[in-house]
Amino acid sequence: MRGAQAGSTSDLEALFRAYWPRSFRAAYLVVHDSAAAEDIAQEAFLAAIRALDRFDRRRPFGPWLHRIVVNRAIDWSRARTLRAETELDTTAASTDQSSGFDDATLASLRALPPEHRAVIVLRHLLEYTPGEIADLLDLPRGTVNSRLRRGLDSLAETLE
Amino acid sequence: MRRALEHVEIPDEHDARERGWRVAQAAFGERQPVRHRDRRRLVPAIAIVVAGAVVAAAISSPGRALLRSIRETVGVRGARSALFSLPASGALLVHSDGGVWVVQADGSKRRLGAYRSASWSPNGLYVAATRRSALYALTPGGEERWSLARPSVAFPSWTGSRTDSRIAYSDKSGLHVVAGDGTGDRFLAPAEYGPFAWRTGSLRELAYVSASEVRLQDVQTGRVIWRANRGPAEPVLAISWSGDGKRLLVLAAHALRVYDEHGRLVRRNDPAYGTTYADAAFVPGTHRPAVIRSHGAQSDVFLFPGGPVLFHGKGGLQQLTWSPDGSWLLVTWPSADQWVLLQVARGGATKRIQAIANISAQFRSQSFPRIEGWCCAQP
Repeated sequence: MRGAQAGSTSDLEALFRAYWPRSFRAAYLVVHDSAAAEDIAQEAFLAAIRALDRFDRRRPFGPWLHRIVVNRAIDWSRARTLRAETELDTTAASTDQSSGFDDATLASLRALPPEHRAVIVLRHLLEYTPGEIADLLDLPRGTVNSRLRRGLDSLAETLE
Repeated sequence: MRRALEHVEIPDEHDARERGWRVAQAAFGERQPVRHRDRRRLVPAIAIVVAGAVVAAAISSPGRALLRSIRETVGVRGARSALFSLPASGALLVHSDGGVWVVQADGSKRRLGAYRSASWSPNGLYVAATRRSALYALTPGGEERWSLARPSVAFPSWTGSRTDSRIAYSDKSGLHVVAGDGTGDRFLAPAEYGPFAWRTGSLRELAYVSASEVRLQDVQTGRVIWRANRGPAEPVLAISWSGDGKRLLVLAAHALRVYDEHGRLVRRNDPAYGTTYADAAFVPGTHRPAVIRSHGAQSDVFLFPGGPVLFHGKGGLQQLTWSPDGSWLLVTWPSADQWVLLQVARGGATKRIQAIANISAQFRSQSFPRIEGWCCAQP
């Protein structure tokens, strides 16, 4: 981070390579659309680059970035869910399914509301504690716990 | 659970990472270094001092004379006081505070209603117009054919033929596409805000700009055909295809980019400090754009790259629109309250200039009206 703030492209690249894979994956697991996940991860990194000079190095970079990624992914999923209309990318979605959605866990995850998917991704992919997730999503800790529980119950039912 | 989530196969994962890195690298290269902050802090202070000096000058007697002389030299002398006719065939679509208007070649005007933006259908048979919460299809006579309720609708863009057409538009959630008869509304991309440009003659390929890049997307399948770096993340002022669909022009205040049909950058220009772009459009039948550029109190219209200058004026020129036959260029000049019509020769020289004054009053508008399109001759 220090090197990137000083203008080092190689340090920025190291930061990017370290954080992109999980950010992109987290976005994808919430939105289930690879193009949208790419946009979300890209926008989060652009926001990070814009804020680079102001970033407090005493704070960890990961939670800051993941907060943007997951909140944008939830917003995107809500916007898509709210639209009572024909989804355009039926073909694209079926392509996605053929390459990854045959996995039962993922299909079960897809059946959950986006807010529940986000909590599960933050907990089980990015390994934040419920307290940290509550901070990242601006939610009461009890809500995080209940979403985790309901999400996991629902996944278990589907997988059974 | 963690292992399952980590092993989910994501389509295009590797390419997405490399594209992401290129975008991040470009944004990093364009970021302002911290040391410029002090200079930026000075800008408002300088602006206040300059504004104070202007006000002081204006309230003095010599100052009033100077401002009067400046005002008098803005605008084409001998401009017509009213719009009697257009010099070329076709009809203009105009937006003003008073609503959306259709102006026929004989100068007659019809107000379609209190819409916020509008766009011609490909053959000028209909107009797509927006209000805050709905998209409308209208006849040029103002009759409503259909409407679609959507929040914060903007940037309608219509493509196709007499038998099959589509409209791209944005709403609060992002970019949508709907058939020309108002059916089959589809969500295409999140958080994308126009303007949009259909590839010339295509029903499927739509170009638009996201926060970080330019994309060409197939609206039928959702597949992104290509994506390219767009330069500084500024609002897009213009995006349009050349007449043969082989070049895409994207303009922002500090960046002009031209891409080929495969998304390769073929021309770029980032203007010198203090110079900004306002609008651009390809000269019909060519791959050269005509561009409005402003520097201080001066603006000009020139052919990129290298000129010639087609028109030069004081104050800000705002928009340019080619007539359907490509022989006339309409340039809007808000500080003069004029439309300037330039007859442009094939070689790129200005042959004739016509000007029409009192534009705002003619469209019952407090602010200067905006041109939404100059379309084909009415059937």
